Amino acid sequence: MSGMHLSKEFFELIKSIGESKSKQEEDRIILNEIAVLKKKLENDKPGSISTAIPGAPGGGVASSGNTLTTNKKKAREFLVRVLYVEMLGHDGSFGYIKAVELAASQSIVHKRTGYMVCACCLSPEHEFRFMLVNQMQRDLISSNLLESCGALIAVTSLITPDLVGTVSTQVIGLLDHNAETVRKKAIVALHRLYQLSPEAVPQNELIEKVRKMLCDRDPGVMGATLNVIESLARVNVAPFKDLVPSLISILKQICERRLPSEYDYHRIPAPWMQMKIVRILSVIGKNDVQASEGMYEILGDCLRKAEEAGINASNAIVYECIRCITLIYPNPVLLDAAGSSISRFLSSRSQNLRYLGVTGLASIVERHPKYAADHQLAVIECLEDKDDTLLRKTLDLLYRMTNPVNVEFITDRLLHFLRGSTDPYLKKDLTGKICTIAERYAPNNGWYVRTVTELFKIAGDLVDPAVATNLMSLVAEGTGNEDGDEEADMVLRKQAVELYVTLLASAPNRMNRVLVETLAWVLGEYGYLSSIMSLDAIIDGMCKLLQSGNTAKLGGGAPSTRRLILSAIMKMVSQYGSCPAAAAKVIDDYTKSSDPDAQKRCLEFQTLLTTAPHLLVEVFPVDASLEDVDVDENLSFLNGLVAEAVSNGARPYQKPEDDDDDDMYSGSLSAETANAFKMTPYEKPTQTYAQGRMAGMGSTNMGPGGAANTPLPPGGSPTHHATPNPVQAVNPAQPQLQLRNVANVWGKQAPLPPAPAAVSTPHVPAPASYGGVGGGFASPAPASYGGFGAPPTPAAAPVKTAEQLEKERLAAALFGGISATTQTPAAPPAHPIPVATPQMSTPMVSPPIPAATPVAAPVSAPAPAVTAPAPEMDLLDMGSWGADTGAMAVATPSTIDMLAPTPIAEAAAPAPPPPPAPPAQPEQTPAPASIDPFADAGLLDGITSAPLSSFGLSDAMGSAKFEYGGVAVAPLTITTPQFGERWGQCPSTHPVNVPSSSSASTLSKFMDICVRAGMHKVEEIAATNEGICACMAGGGTAVALVHGKISPFSGGQSRVDVTVKSTDPQLGGTLAMYLQNMIR
Amino acid sequence: MISFILMVNKQGQTRLSSYYEWMDMQERVALESEIIRKCLSRSELQCSFLEYRGFKVIYRRYASLFFIVGTKADLDVRALDAPGSTAENYENELGLLEFIHSLVETMDRWAGSICELDIMYQLEQVHFLLDEMVMNGYIVETNKSNVLRPIDLIDRESKKTEGMFR
Repeated sequence: MSGMHLSKEFFELIKSIGESKSKQEEDRIILNEIAVLKKKLENDKPGSISTAIPGAPGGGVASSGNTLTTNKKKAREFLVRVLYVEMLGHDGSFGYIKAVELAASQSIVHKRTGYMVCACCLSPEHEFRFMLVNQMQRDLISSNLLESCGALIAVTSLITPDLVGTVSTQVIGLLDHNAETVRKKAIVALHRLYQLSPEAVPQNELIEKVRKMLCDRDPGVMGATLNVIESLARVNVAPFKDLVPSLISILKQICERRLPSEYDYHRIPAPWMQMKIVRILSVIGKNDVQASEGMYEILGDCLRKAEEAGINASNAIVYECIRCITLIYPNPVLLDAAGSSISRFLSSRSQNLRYLGVTGLASIVERHPKYAADHQLAVIECLEDKDDTLLRKTLDLLYRMTNPVNVEFITDRLLHFLRGSTDPYLKKDLTGKICTIAERYAPNNGWYVRTVTELFKIAGDLVDPAVATNLMSLVAEGTGNEDGDEEADMVLRKQAVELYVTLLASAPNRMNRVLVETLAWVLGEYGYLSSIMSLDAIIDGMCKLLQSGNTAKLGGGAPSTRRLILSAIMKMVSQYGSCPAAAAKVIDDYTKSSDPDAQKRCLEFQTLLTTAPHLLVEVFPVDASLEDVDVDENLSFLNGLVAEAVSNGARPYQKPEDDDDDDMYSGSLSAETANAFKMTPYEKPTQTYAQGRMAGMGSTNMGPGGAANTPLPPGGSPTHHATPNPVQAVNPAQPQLQLRNVANVWGKQAPLPPAPAAVSTPHVPAPASYGGVGGGFASPAPASYGGFGAPPTPAAAPVKTAEQLEKERLAAALFGGISATTQTPAAPPAHPIPVATPQMSTPMVSPPIPAATPVAAPVSAPAPAVTAPAPEMDLLDMGSWGADTGAMAVATPSTIDMLAPTPIAEAAAPAPPPPPAPPAQPEQTPAPASIDPFADAGLLDGITSAPLSSFGLSDAMGSAKFEYGGVAVAPLTITTPQFGERWGQCPSTHPVNVPSSSSASTLSKFMDICVRAGMHKVEEIAATNEGICACMAGGGTAVALVHGKISPFSGGQSRVDVTVKSTDPQLGGTLAMYLQNMIR
Repeated sequence: MISFILMVNKQGQTRLSSYYEWMDMQERVALESEIIRKCLSRSELQCSFLEYRGFKVIYRRYASLFFIVGTKADLDVRALDAPGSTAENYENELGLLEFIHSLVETMDRWAGSICELDIMYQLEQVHFLLDEMVMNGYIVETNKSNVLRPIDLIDRESKKTEGMFR
């Protein structure tokens, strides 16, 4: 062995490094060594010139006349010494050039050493990498297989993206080399080249080669290729789908010990290949029932054989099988087998196996929670384990096990661990997890606010800013559902305020930005609710916070943070009624601020304070953060109306891009983000004031949004009358269901939507859909006004009596807090009820029309609207009432009784439990709006005579074939692959997201909706809760494809994400709209 | 994929390091010393895995020498992800733990019962051996005969050439 031909020098060096007892000692040795090596190199230079002259000058260190250039063996030893220098953390760059030289050597061992030292030392930017290309090219085509191998290893570690093209042809050529060791390296090298520069190595060529190499006659080449397949399939599985039979056959052969025994490891046949294949199978089988079914047998065999062996290597295979079984389409037998393997791991005394048990359990519980039940004790033990790694994995397991019941416990645990953690990767991961489970499973709003605030305290810098925004809107909006009464919301706000007041009082030395900003906003809006600290004390505290020179306290003290605090102070001054000296000083200070924005705010505020203090209350309206009017310039909220009008034969308005649906979604999104910080609206005080008031009056809103509506209502309503399909009538209510901000606009013009609802009343057989309609447009208003819809109303609209308020409250209880508040802004429903009742049973065509007119009228004459609407609006409102209770009216003979508000409330009193308003709603802010309308329908189904209403429902559904251009669509019978092919070809995409639906709470319900609509069910993938459907219109000229994903959460509700793709944007758009209506 | 393989003794002295993703020297030094400190702080009764700076680390101790393997999600998968998000690392911890043992067995077969000093004296050959087993962060060969065949060939050649210079 060459180790025996060491020079004395080298031997001594290694010995001294080996014997050194400290880093300092080692450093001394290396520094000395560097000096020696540099000297050698210097001596080499003259030596290299005079190679022919024996005993060249300066041969002090180089013991003989042999120089590094002439004596390759010395050069190699020199390089190994340089490698030591580098490995031990010192700069050896002086010797790199020798490595490049040596790579060109004739001798393979020298060449390999040269390449290897280059690979270890040269950074990707180093120019010497370029110098090696030529040598690599030569070696790649060498007839000596050792040289080819060396070059392939060098290619893998030394080629940079810009050099890929220089060697790729040769590497591809080596895939056909005679020697398996060369082929094996070539396929890995080619994959490396592809990673470096996908442009230079075409993907399809690589895939083709990989597939060929998988079938190589040598198992080693096949084994190396598996790595490449796994890596590529993780990115795009499609080209490898058909490899399942080949992979299964390979795995089978391995399991049956048909490979040479040299591949065995501790009597387990090729364990790493087994693991790789199982892992590839898991990638392919994911979301693919067919592929999954093909692998059940071999997975079972593989798992069983591995279980029998019971050593580490076989346990690794067992673990791989467990992960695969949980990832592919579930098979109960395999799952049980995996479950018992997990049990064995968890109960093992080996810590490594327990670790695998915990991670295995984490992968299984997400989709099959029942397996967690058996291991509660084991999990708790792991939580108390001293092993940090195991603890982390257990926390991950907890995160995946979270449900509404255990969320508090788990969040506590995670927060506790987060507090003690210093690893930034772990902290970020935990923060994200806590946010997710807190949002998904919060038992109540108070808890959510406390938890998130705690999270801000611990790791605010890692929190997604959207979380803070959500928290603020939650505080502002309150529950917005079920018990959406103002009291509960006030309690929540008060809790939040006390929380932040305490925080302010304790004034921690270090707060992060998100915490400071949230604190400023909450106290600015609701500081007056505090009972533990007076408002002026809070103002004082805020001033101190702002003035504190300590920027750490200010979360870094960014100008925007300071502005937020300033605004908060101003709001509180306005609430307080006078300006405390501290605030006056701060504001005066900031009139000289270098931040123009802050300066402007302060100057304006000062002016207001001195010249017109009475205006302050109006500039800073109390509890009005949500009343700012978002001008939806796209008028996306009218899309439903337009779509309906078009479907009824109106001439469509052709926008240049003809892409209004996309506009609708992007519009809603931007509106959402624009709403993030609600500070800005106050910059235009007078307008905000006017709008706030209008809304508070419960009248139609004259804001820009309202004005924008003007042209449409009169034109829009008649079209509803013609609506042939009651379900379609839902359309106008639909868009705003999920568009929280647009909802403002809807709430304010709430009188309009009743028209379609009322109109469709004659089609009595569809009571459930009426419920939906009523709820549908009823909900947006509360979604925007939330809990505080109520207080402005009594103040502003003197029409309201205590009795009415009480009724509203009852209705709120009945309709999950949403319908009740809707009526608030619309008009008091009480007295008109008797009047309207007959209209319920008589054709309702006429009333809505007059109803619509007054709505339109106030638009141009805002002032009268305040008083005028009452009577007419009542009428209108009845429409909505009728709609709300339509199902009842149908279901029971005593229509009148049922419609009288109080009995309804009574009738519904037992009902509130069924509406599955899960605790998660409040944080999923857009959710409440869409949840409750359906809850209404479900509720009505429940309390009225079930058969009748459900009959009505199915009847309505039955007639609900989706029509396009007046003709029902035809099912398009295609297969999944065809679907996939067409999917890519469809130019227009229309996503529909229903945050919470019960009509499509399961996949089969969703598929039913699609089939009823006239689509062909292409495939239903229960494993992933996804389904695909297809239909065509116009005799096949237009095709629409639908992909739906159902994500169930608690309470029988599901989040539904649908993507409609179509060759015709209009078809796609209307179909998306239609589905959105059906999925509620 | 495997991001690095280290052999570090219990004094924290690196005996071999092989990186499959570039890391500059400062990072390497910090990583090696921190990881070995973490490994040393763990008892025999704790599991052989740890997480460090986003790496899933698997280690195994042989006498005074720690064999350490650091893994991350595949490069292809990471390239796909937006920066900041962490792609899932599917490496099989126990599988890699056994791979370490397979590596040690292969070295044993190559040079008899191998010790820390053997590795030090034959650093480049150990690198060659590792290059046969791991390429581009993937385990490409675990068949000991296949691994050692090229190593023996190189050895024989080097003796020939060295003989010429003698």
